[in-house]
Amino acid sequence: MPLDTSTYSLALLRLDGRRWNELRRLTAQISTQASADGSSFLSMGNTKVICTVTGPSEVKAAPGASGRGDEAVVSVEISVAGFSGVERKRRGKGDKRIYEMQTTIATAFQATLFTHLYPRSTITISLHILSLDGSLLATCLNASTLALIDAGVPMRDYICATTAGSTSSYSSNDEKADPLLDLNGSEELELPFLTVATCGTEDEVSVLVMETRVQVGRLEGMLAVGVDGCKQVRDILDVVVRARGKRILEGSQL
Amino acid sequence: MAPSSALQQVLLSPAELSYLHTSLASTPPIRPDGRTSRQFRPLIAESNILPGTNGSARICFDDGTEAIVGAKAEVEKSRPVFAAREEEGEGEEMAEGQGEGGERGRNEWVDISVEIPGMRDDDSMPVFLSALLSEALLADGGFTRKLWINRRFHWKLYIDILLLSQPLSYPLPLLSLTTHLALLATRLPRLKSEKDEDPMFDDDWEASVFLFPQSQTAKPPATLLVMAVSSNIIFDPSKEELAVAEVVLAVSISSSPSSFTPESEMDVGERKGGSLKLLAVRTIDPPSRLTHPGVPNVVNTATGGTATDNMEMAMAREEGVWKSPRGGAKRKLIAEMIRKVLEKGGVGEEVLDGLEAVGLE
Repeated sequence: MPLDTSTYSLALLRLDGRRWNELRRLTAQISTQASADGSSFLSMGNTKVICTVTGPSEVKAAPGASGRGDEAVVSVEISVAGFSGVERKRRGKGDKRIYEMQTTIATAFQATLFTHLYPRSTITISLHILSLDGSLLATCLNASTLALIDAGVPMRDYICATTAGSTSSYSSNDEKADPLLDLNGSEELELPFLTVATCGTEDEVSVLVMETRVQVGRLEGMLAVGVDGCKQVRDILDVVVRARGKRILEGSQL
Repeated sequence: MAPSSALQQVLLSPAELSYLHTSLASTPPIRPDGRTSRQFRPLIAESNILPGTNGSARICFDDGTEAIVGAKAEVEKSRPVFAAREEEGEGEEMAEGQGEGGERGRNEWVDISVEIPGMRDDDSMPVFLSALLSEALLADGGFTRKLWINRRFHWKLYIDILLLSQPLSYPLPLLSLTTHLALLATRLPRLKSEKDEDPMFDDDWEASVFLFPQSQTAKPPATLLVMAVSSNIIFDPSKEELAVAEVVLAVSISSSPSSFTPESEMDVGERKGGSLKLLAVRTIDPPSRLTHPGVPNVVNTATGGTATDNMEMAMAREEGVWKSPRGGAKRKLIAEMIRKVLEKGGVGEEVLDGLEAVGLE
């Protein structure tokens, strides 16, 4: 069912009432599960993800198999719950899109974590997707960042991610097309969008994924909005992490 | 008997096992975490956590194991049942007189899947757990009857059970309690159409009806894990306690409507007093059977004893030396375990009441 995006130009409000540069409600909790080394729960709008981190721990398989003896290997497992979508659907582990997301997340963190401190070990990030409504990769990246911080794995800086889209996909109204921040599920079906993740405050892009077609001229605007959104996400995550740190400090003074 | 091999084996030495066994067998039993024999581990429970499901719940045990259950319902066309039609045709007057007596559920309307991290879907543990949980749910047919819409349509209920952490202790009670909580919170849209029309539903979620209304006594089942060491009966065993268990039972209970009269070959004592009914009992292969036995000094050459080829001497039990339990459970003991779950003011009632309080908040 195509989404009617024509109403956007009338009031400049999106279907869920947001303006072009507004994020959905982003809530995060850190250290949600006692038995995991690190864990987090993050929701961006109606997309909800639980992340647990195991490790750094010894490689279980033969060390020759992984091929990296001098640094830790990051592996990512994503499981999509059957009840996450609108209709109940079981997804197998062999789903190609899931597999690609796992690789994207693993590569991003492999570059940002100080993996050289943990030779011959592995860091496993497992993500459970409980509810699905757009910006899935971005939510997974943010949740992983929090869980890795909770696990105490040293890293260069936060990896924060958002999605950015563009209101129109045809070239006739090029001037009027607005870039949009943080698309929800129904917008993702209709509009071209990209997922961008930055590392740190210096606008250093570490992940950029785009699977839809868009005019080259719009890409820059989308990217700028996305990177700006990452900054907002970073501020929110930072508050969560600092609140947790404060609690730990208070606890240790007793 | 349920498989236990899928669990991570507890690495305890024969001496430690013997110590644990002795303290659990003493009266009153001394548990490693200082609980009384019928005390449960503290847990965090919440329901209605996922807006995209008809009902959902999350339970977090003290040892960090966590489970999430989501129930999702879809309208499905019923398969015509010719055999049943004929029966109805014969006794048509009677069926009309009964009114809603024609409502009859089928077991395939409920689909339970269990996901445990690090295990494949077809591993024995998830398959067994989902079979055990659906067995309790489908035991008396009352549950599937609730999914009946009309003669042509019914609800298909998918219950997805996710264990989010590693299975540190036997995950059955955790999964069962979470499922119980999710089903208590499950709501279905209110039906607007009548009789055998294509179903039409009220799109106001506020008007939706609970699958288990609070006004009714019928409640979803719960499965509890009970273990015994010598004659001591211990509830909600932890991983270490299971490592020395002699008998482990999974007891499924639900609150019974008052008219229900239990029929059972086994005499389980004063059941009439309680408001609970027994749905299913399964014995679970205790992990203690896989532990290594200790060697008494008398037959240990390392401590000055002499090795023996005398079978009886090798099998003999000695105080303070761990031997893994052999043989089955005494019927009296099993009856006593079931009685303790079902008795009025007993553990079963306590658990069901506690979980109901979660839904009310």
